[in-house]
Amino acid sequence: MLDTSVRKAGRHKAENAPGWAHAILEAFRRENIRNLVFLPDTVMGRLLALADTDAFFRLTAVHREEEAVGILTGLYLGGQRGAMLIQNTGLGNSLNALASLGMAYKIPFPLLISLRGELGEFNPAQLVMGRAVRGCLDALRIQHFTLGREEDVEVVMHGALKTCFTAQEPLAVLLSAQMTGWKDEE
Amino acid sequence: MIERRKATKMAAELAGANPIVGSVGNATFDLYGVADRPENFYIWNSMGMASSIGLGLALARPDKRVIVLDGDGSLLMNLSSLPTETMAGVTNLVHVVWDNGGWEITGAQPAGTAFGVDLAAIARGAGYRQAVTVDTLDDFRAAFAQAMQASEAWFICARIENTGALHVRPSKTLTRLRDRFMEALAS
Repeated sequence: MLDTSVRKAGRHKAENAPGWAHAILEAFRRENIRNLVFLPDTVMGRLLALADTDAFFRLTAVHREEEAVGILTGLYLGGQRGAMLIQNTGLGNSLNALASLGMAYKIPFPLLISLRGELGEFNPAQLVMGRAVRGCLDALRIQHFTLGREEDVEVVMHGALKTCFTAQEPLAVLLSAQMTGWKDEE
Repeated sequence: MIERRKATKMAAELAGANPIVGSVGNATFDLYGVADRPENFYIWNSMGMASSIGLGLALARPDKRVIVLDGDGSLLMNLSSLPTETMAGVTNLVHVVWDNGGWEITGAQPAGTAFGVDLAAIARGAGYRQAVTVDTLDDFRAAFAQAMQASEAWFICARIENTGALHVRPSKTLTRLRDRFMEALAS
């Protein structure tokens, strides 16, 4: 059975968390978003390591991103707010649930999506989905904003979360590699 | 073999004020038809998502026992939700699957469950300590009643007849379904 002593953020260390991760978590805290439902990538891992040391947040990992849409729906129906933390690849795995549950039933939660296939990509298999992210979100009428600079995080996150709960719909914030960096691999 | 609508009515009676999530299609139509109540949440699409919605509810409301009435086709679409339930460590989930060996609503095409796929064995492999298969209404009642009193998560695969569902439908105003359920759960 489950060993609950396992650190959910793996080998990333909270003390190495970048400024944008601190600012995003503070924005979540301000809106009482306690549940972080995630499938990790290395970008989100740095934020999760910080959240994992903070008793305010509950981290719930999924094995496929679509599950997060259902879990966040259940959390909201039960009176709790949460956020979906994924890489853009996982948006593709979640489209029908976002459409038929999140949008159709008007379940508000932010999607925090780290972008691959954009700046500094080394993996050709990431490129097509990377280019399709905004088109997919637009097709579902999911409002989205992009964070490219750390100094923008506080105001954009604050405003985006407020709009998300006003609209009572999922809303996406995209984390550009301009801010989060990319790998040196050629 | 079990009649789904009889077992559904039985589950709702034994549920008390605990929430029930109906999976898409016949699971929801029978739940609405025989036991509509504000503590039911109905989905109109989102195949596979009932188990994940149940997990979110179980996390949000540890004071409730959350019941999911799933279908075999739906669970097979979202099998990864089973290890996720284990990983989340929830103890207050009662995950029922109506197993009729396929996709009944689209014409009873056989799914993996018609070829020997054992969902209770999969649930055990995914970490459920309580996972049973039942073939009669009496056995379903016994397992479900025990699951509702338990302090750990339960998985019940109920093998049902392919009889079709009632021709009744819950509201198609989805925010009404959402709000009614939320108000019932909050009160």
